[in-house]
Amino acid sequence: MNIQFKKGVLELCTLVLLCRKDYYGYELVQAISRNVDIAEGTVYPLLRRLTKEGYFTTYIQESAEGPARKYYQITEKGKEYQAVLLEEWTRFIGGVNTLLGGEATA
Amino acid sequence: MNKARFIAELRRTLGRMPEKERTEVLYDYEEHFRMGAADGRTEEQIAASLGNPRALGASYAIDTLLEMPKEGGAVRAASVVRAVFASVSLTFFNAIFVLGPFLGLVVLMIAMWAVAPALALSGVALFFAPIAGAILPAWISTGGLSTAFLMFAGIGLAGLGMLAGIGMWQLSRLFVKMIAAYVRFNARVVARRK
Repeated sequence: MNIQFKKGVLELCTLVLLCRKDYYGYELVQAISRNVDIAEGTVYPLLRRLTKEGYFTTYIQESAEGPARKYYQITEKGKEYQAVLLEEWTRFIGGVNTLLGGEATA
Repeated sequence: MNKARFIAELRRTLGRMPEKERTEVLYDYEEHFRMGAADGRTEEQIAASLGNPRALGASYAIDTLLEMPKEGGAVRAASVVRAVFASVSLTFFNAIFVLGPFLGLVVLMIAMWAVAPALALSGVALFFAPIAGAILPAWISTGGLSTAFLMFAGIGLAGLGMLAGIGMWQLSRLFVKMIAAYVRFNARVVARRK
C-alpha cells in the first residue's frame, strides 16, 4: 500500500483510539497492529510528532506489573483534529466505495 | 536483530538530534522492548515487528526538519527555494541573453587590444625605416618616400597606438566594472537583498 496513504491512516487510527481512552505506547501499537499491517515502530515517531504539535500530552504512570508506563492523552486540539480527519476519511471512503460499486455516473 | 543492535542503529541514525530528545525517543523503544518481553516475545521478534531502525530514525529526522518552520526555519527554507529558483532562472537568462553578447564583447576587446600595440609598433618601424634603409639598402626600401615623411608618419602612428592603448585601458576598466556590477546584480537577485 502507498506509504503516505498508510501514514495518514495510521494518524487517523491513533487519534481515534486516543479519543476513546488513554493508551501507553506499547498498548496503542498492539491495538493498531492487531488490525492493520504496519511496522510497529512507525507509531512512535507519529506519537512524538502529534505530541509536539499539541494534539496529545503524556504522563508517566507506575504499573502494578512492572516499570512505569508513558501514557498518551488527547487534548481538545487533538479531538478537533480527529473530527476533521475522520470527516475527511469518511467522505473519501464513501466516494471510493461509490466508485468501486460502479454507482458513480459519468 | 536483538534489542542492543536495534537501539544502537536507531541511536546512530538519530545522529544530530539533541541529546535530551534522543534519550526520549530511545526510551519509547526500550519501553516497547520491555513490554514485548513481558508479553513473552523474543527480542528478535520485537525488533522485526518494529521495522527497520534506520528508516524509523529517518522519520524522526524528517519530523525535526518539518518542525523548523516554527523556529524561523520556514523563512529560511522559503528563501532557499527562492534563491535556487532565482539562480536557475538567472542561469538560463544569462546563458541565452547575456553569454553571447558578453563573449562578443570579449573578442572585440581582445581584437582592439591587439590593434593598439600593432599601431605603435608599425609607427616605430616607420620611424626607423629610413635609418634601416640606409644601413641595409638591399633589405629595406623606403619606396622613395622622404625620410622626414616616414619619421613624422612613424611618430604619428606610434602616438596613435599609444592613444589607442590608453583608450583601451579605460575601456577595459569600464568593461570590468560593468561585469562586476552585473555579477553583483545576479548575486543580489539570488540573495534577494534590498
